[in-house]
Amino acid sequence: MKRIITILLLGVTGYFVADAVFSIPFGVDKLNIAKEYLLNSPEELKVANTVTAVVVNFRGFDTLGEVTVLFLAATGLGSILFRRRKYHTGLNPQREAPQASRIVQVGGKLLFPLILLLGAYVFIHGHLTPGGGFQGGVIIATGYLLLLVSFRKFAVKHSSLTWVEAVAGVTFAGIGLTGLVFGKDFLENFLPTGVLNSLLSGGIVGIIYVAVGFKVASELTGILDTMLSIKVEVDEENEEN
Amino acid sequence: MVADPILYVALPLLTAFLLPIIGKINKELIRIVPGLLFAFLVYNSIALFSKVSATHTPIIVEIAGWAPPIGINLVYSSFTGFIATIISVLALLVWAYSYKFKKLEFDNSLKYFVLLMLVTAGSIGVILTGDLFNQFVFLEIVALSSYPLVAFYRGRNGAEASFKYLLVGGFASLSILLGIVLIYSQLGTLNMADIAAHIDEMPRNIKIVSFTLLFLGFAIEAEMFPLNGWAPDTYSQAPGPIGAVFAGMTAKAGIYALIRMIYTIFDFSGAFEILLIMGVITLVVSEGIALRQENLKRMLAYSSLGQMGLLMIAFGINTKTAVIAGMLILFNHAVIKSLLFLSSSFLVYNSKDKLIKDAYGMGKKLPLTAILFGIGAFAIVGLPPFSGFWGKLYLLMASADANLLGLIALILAVSVIEIVYYFRVVNGVYFKKSKTEIEVHKPRWNASLAMIILAAAIIVVGIYPNIIYDYLVNAADTLLDKASYISHVLPNLASN
Repeated sequence: MKRIITILLLGVTGYFVADAVFSIPFGVDKLNIAKEYLLNSPEELKVANTVTAVVVNFRGFDTLGEVTVLFLAATGLGSILFRRRKYHTGLNPQREAPQASRIVQVGGKLLFPLILLLGAYVFIHGHLTPGGGFQGGVIIATGYLLLLVSFRKFAVKHSSLTWVEAVAGVTFAGIGLTGLVFGKDFLENFLPTGVLNSLLSGGIVGIIYVAVGFKVASELTGILDTMLSIKVEVDEENEEN
Repeated sequence: MVADPILYVALPLLTAFLLPIIGKINKELIRIVPGLLFAFLVYNSIALFSKVSATHTPIIVEIAGWAPPIGINLVYSSFTGFIATIISVLALLVWAYSYKFKKLEFDNSLKYFVLLMLVTAGSIGVILTGDLFNQFVFLEIVALSSYPLVAFYRGRNGAEASFKYLLVGGFASLSILLGIVLIYSQLGTLNMADIAAHIDEMPRNIKIVSFTLLFLGFAIEAEMFPLNGWAPDTYSQAPGPIGAVFAGMTAKAGIYALIRMIYTIFDFSGAFEILLIMGVITLVVSEGIALRQENLKRMLAYSSLGQMGLLMIAFGINTKTAVIAGMLILFNHAVIKSLLFLSSSFLVYNSKDKLIKDAYGMGKKLPLTAILFGIGAFAIVGLPPFSGFWGKLYLLMASADANLLGLIALILAVSVIEIVYYFRVVNGVYFKKSKTEIEVHKPRWNASLAMIILAAAIIVVGIYPNIIYDYLVNAADTLLDKASYISHVLPNLASN
């Protein structure tokens, strides 16, 4: 009975939501704010990639928030993900598994620097080509994932992750606050914008995206490392029994 | 010194990112720096709020140099500024209270203070922002910093409460996001004032669905019945001071988002009745459950949900007196509930199950804490001369003005229930003997100071309500005047 009511309710809700979603006129020009974005990002900001201009400049405040959300996810994961065991093992069970094959190890070693290079390329050119800090950061984190998978003993240094994470975050918020020092708004550009389509264009947009790249890379690497090395805590009460 | 609404958000984020490095220099700085930050936020509040009260015009802050409909903006008005001030003062007091928290070691204290700063920044961001998507981002920050705080003690129950909250909170986020998507698809804008100005252009079916989705999401964050099943667990599992944070900050952020949506963004007149009815149900159900609780923290949590119900009733009546009553209840809930959570956590400090009977006899062992808890309990049920009295009085006056006589009877009846379960605890604390020997943990001077300041605020506002009354009238006027909100944020709208 309960199940039938649930299905009925879901059906009614689904019908109304679907009705609303399908009546969105796709492909029709409904550009209200968006046309300002399209117009202003090459003209005033000298940012070739409009998506980047929206993410880092027009709605940069949201991006700062999203970076914080990621930071929180990385911070909070450790406090929710943990296991209690009756016995104490020095090593984490996943790390006791046999080593990956030679081919994976050599391939991982070969690919790792190339992946880092690609990631760095993507976030450095975020204001020119598709991609940017988030995408570049994720690419770098996949490089670390490859190493973590191929070498059981490989561990990321947490203190260096903390430093990268902190410096990148402070750069983002600090650049935003520097705008206030120059008498401008928070996150407003205060640097010369340069020539459209060149590497050094767009003012603070490029710098912020590089910082976002570092931050995303270090946080995702941290999350991967946390997930692979879930803390095994000794359950003292059960141990006594 | 500078004072700018943007600093409410920018500085805590900067400090939170910086704190791990600061901790490497000197461990003691981890505790000190957040306090300096919160002190600055309080200064910021005082400077800005006195300016807004003097000029009666909201401060509109543009971000990244783009005027409101294009860029994101913050609106610091007498309404939003009042709530932001309460939150920043509360953050400073919670910091003072937990400065030497015994259970905080180095790693934990770093995490604790980072989360405390971010939950403060997120709650204030929700309240100050003038952009719907930005509000969603800040609600995410609030939610994501609450999950680890609930599971802070790494126990099985904490993890369970946190996971429950995570699932419900995830659903809330999804619902809010879908509502925002529908609005954006129709109006092509995310600015609240811009949406409010063009809301009549939306097709009716989409408007109803997006309203429902947003209402659902915000109601979960505002702890409205029946969407509040997660709340008592989170309140009772989180560390003591975090209960104050949840009651005073995150619940306020949720109810604010709900109020802003109903009062400003949408133009449904029936929305007020929904809020009123849901408020009545929340109040009755929560207080009824609170009566049966054996666990002190759970009792306070259900009582807190009841207060949220009162808030919804006040804002659902939608008259000027009712909004003033709502602001008073909001102030009272933040201050009194925080005092109750902070003091009760010493009453049952070393007790494992935090039962009410574990606090028996504490009146002699912890005289100061017990009297502070007593003040909080007397204030929350609405006895004069405490500030809780004025909130309830104005609410009764507003209901009488609106000819809702049944509501008056209901609020008074629920107050009797409140008196029963709060006086049971106070009676136990003073006049019953403890059966079990539980080691007493005395509050340090910093914790006592934080609690005394809260109690002093309750008594001062209770005796001289006029010191905040004028601000509340301003705040109520600001909230009710939708047209001036739109014209302040978008001065060029008429010319387009």
